[in-house]
Amino acid sequence: MAAQFPVAHKSFSLDIKGNKTDIVICKYDDNFLVMVTQIGCMGTILHARKEEGVSTEPTFHVAVIFGKRDEPFLAACARQLIENISSCGSTRPLVLSLGLKDHSPGTMKEIIYAVMENRLW
Amino acid sequence: MSSKELEESLSELQVGKRQSVQNDMSEGEVQVSCFTEDLHDVTLHFQIVKFSKQIYAWIGCNSAKLGHLYAAATTRPNNIVSVTSILGGTSDNTGSSIARRLVLKTGLNIVVACNIPKDSPMLEATAERKLTERLASLGYFRPREI
Repeated sequence: MAAQFPVAHKSFSLDIKGNKTDIVICKYDDNFLVMVTQIGCMGTILHARKEEGVSTEPTFHVAVIFGKRDEPFLAACARQLIENISSCGSTRPLVLSLGLKDHSPGTMKEIIYAVMENRLW
Repeated sequence: MSSKELEESLSELQVGKRQSVQNDMSEGEVQVSCFTEDLHDVTLHFQIVKFSKQIYAWIGCNSAKLGHLYAAATTRPNNIVSVTSILGGTSDNTGSSIARRLVLKTGLNIVVACNIPKDSPMLEATAERKLTERLASLGYFRPREI
C-alpha cells in the first residue's frame, strides 16, 4: 500500500447566511493553511504567528500579505484562529485565506466555529 | 492528441489516487487532489486545490513544509502575466516561474507554494512538468492554445 500523503487535509462546505462557503484545511510540517471561500477564489491571504516572548501571555503577529487591508474583521478572524492553535499546544504559524462576499462579524463567527470544529491541530 | 495518451496512461494512476479527490461534482465545488511522484533521488509531493476561479498548488520536495508562496495572474495591460512573492521568497525564482507558466497555460489565477531548494533547475522543471500533466489530465486547462 502506498505511503500516506504527508499533508493531512480536510475539505468541506457549509452555508453561512445564504452563501455557500467552501473550507479547506491543510496541515503542513511547519504551517497550517486554512482556505475559506465564497467567491470562487482564495481572496485575501493573511499570515498569523505566535511570537516568542518573555511574558507569560502569548502574543501574536497578524498581517495581511495579499489582498484587502482595510477589513479589520479579517485580521480578527486570523487572530482568533492563531490563538486557538496556540491554546491547543501548537506553535506553528497560520496562513489563512478568506474570499468572502460578506465581512460581517456574524459570518466571521460562523467561519471560526466551523474551522475550529474541523481543526487539524 | 497528447492529452488522450496522457489520459490513458494516467487512468491507472488515478484509480488509486482519486480517493483523495472530494466533491468532484459541479464546477462550483472545491476539488482537492494529492499525489506523489518518486524520482530516483527525491520524492515530490503535489497538492492541487481547484476553486472555480483560481488554482492553489503545493509542491513538496522530500518534506511537507509549505515553502515559499507566490501568486500569479494576468494583469493589465494586454493580459500579461505578473508574479509576486507573498510569503518567504526573496529573489529566489523557484516556484515563481512555475506560477507564471501555470497562468499562461490555465488562464486562471494561480497561487503556488513550493519548497524545492534553490539551485536545482532540473528538479524544478520536472516538478513543473508533472504538475502540468496532472492539471491537463484533470481538465483544468482552459482551451487557449494558440
